[in-house]
Amino acid sequence: MQKGEMYVGWSTKEDVRKRGGSGGLVTSMLAAALEKKLVDAVVVLKKINEFEAVPIITSDVNEVLNSAGSLHSVPSHFAKLIANRDLKIALPAKGCDVRGIIEQGKRNAINLDNTFIVGLNCGGSMHPAVTREMLEVMYKIKPEDVHGEEIEKGKLIFETKDGKEHAITIDELEEKGYGRRESCRYCTIKVPNNSDIACGNWGVTGDLVGKATFVEINSEKGVKLLQNAIDAGYVQVQKPDEKAVAIRVRIKGVMEDLGKKWKNKIFVPIDNRLEYFRKELEHCIDCGACKTVCPTCSCGDVSKCTEYHSRSDAYRMSMYHLVRFLHLADACIGCGQCSDVCPVDIPLTRLYRRFANPVQEQLKYEPGMDMRKPPYFEVKLNE
Amino acid sequence: MTEESAASADAKTNGWEPKMVVFCCNWCSYGGADSAGMGRFQQPASARIIRVMCSGRIDPLHVFNAFLEGADAVLVTGCHIGDCHYVNGNDKTKIKYRYLENVVHELGIEKERLQLNWISASEGERFANFIRDVTAQIKKLGPSPLKPEGVA
Repeated sequence: MQKGEMYVGWSTKEDVRKRGGSGGLVTSMLAAALEKKLVDAVVVLKKINEFEAVPIITSDVNEVLNSAGSLHSVPSHFAKLIANRDLKIALPAKGCDVRGIIEQGKRNAINLDNTFIVGLNCGGSMHPAVTREMLEVMYKIKPEDVHGEEIEKGKLIFETKDGKEHAITIDELEEKGYGRRESCRYCTIKVPNNSDIACGNWGVTGDLVGKATFVEINSEKGVKLLQNAIDAGYVQVQKPDEKAVAIRVRIKGVMEDLGKKWKNKIFVPIDNRLEYFRKELEHCIDCGACKTVCPTCSCGDVSKCTEYHSRSDAYRMSMYHLVRFLHLADACIGCGQCSDVCPVDIPLTRLYRRFANPVQEQLKYEPGMDMRKPPYFEVKLNE
Repeated sequence: MTEESAASADAKTNGWEPKMVVFCCNWCSYGGADSAGMGRFQQPASARIIRVMCSGRIDPLHVFNAFLEGADAVLVTGCHIGDCHYVNGNDKTKIKYRYLENVVHELGIEKERLQLNWISASEGERFANFIRDVTAQIKKLGPSPLKPEGVA
């Protein structure tokens, strides 16, 4: 087994295989890593209900096995959770989680050698509050009655407790303003090749559909993770056929093109930009939540954006936001956390991306994709 | 005509002088400003010079602050590339300026309001010309949209 190889695999535990999304491979791999002492802890989402879950750091194998199953409407971000803890840890991560973790690694807050990142293919996640509203308005069902959810062939399917399935296409939902979070729509990192091992159901064919996971190994740590799980008897793998690999590449291409289309649709040039930004930011209450959740920010409590900002200045633009616009111009990974937590619903991710898009394009720098130093800190630009 | 553009049109006709913050490095451009005076090169009284030891010291925060406090333009000046007293200070300026330029432009502030120029200690005439040119450009544009209320 080595870097660059691809497999199709599933969990050997019947229970996990049934409950987990796509054969429960990721759950079993994490459990095996913990049991065989490859890592000291694992991050999992502890489910409260379909719309709520808390990320926890656990060393209990049963807790890991119990976490099997996917939640599309809990957009949590793990990078800040494991920062500054110095743990030997394994965790599942969406594309944006991986980028956040690598950015924290560059800022010396996470030791990447001790972090095993299991990347998950991600087509997008949904905001829990929006999902609840969508269930009532679009699906005409009570959020409390929902038993499970699934995304299949471009349709978002909710299963209610009485066993009925309700399906509406995602395109239709997004036209009405529901569906995926905005940042997920224009995200173009659908297969996290920056992680140690990329897992997902794209490329699983034939009888295995829904019962297996397609795995691509991206690093030596990924080899260790999968080999360990196989040796421990937690997972089984087989080689995929050429057709499966081709299907995976095709789905990836389609999703990325869709993301690019959304990007062009959302970021249209605006004429009176200063007025636009002032209008969007006028409700800001200086709570600082956007900075607290930001997975690439690692200044801590004493930071330039907060220390030089005072409401009594009565400036035309908030100094806090100006400094953050600048600092995130090369660091923003577009994860959407800031928009999610904003108590006054400022579309912050969209604002940050307006500054980040031209800078990152000009400098050909994609934060969180590799270990390249942020160009802002280079002594001389190599052009 | 909106209130703001009426005010700027008014300013243009009433002999309004822009106020510009000019960051000069101790070793080159500040010397350049000095020799502009010694050589008696005429320049408008719009510049407010802030001396820093090296242009690499200028944090984007200083530039934001100048704009927010009411500067109509901010000029960043330093030694020519390769002449820095601190070896590579102005290379760092160049990198920071690249970001700053993008952010300020994206924010909707005209390009002319933020400029970078390399001026050596002997280039007094160049310094005076630079100030004169930028003042003329800013006079055409009118007061900065970021100027707080009550600041002239």
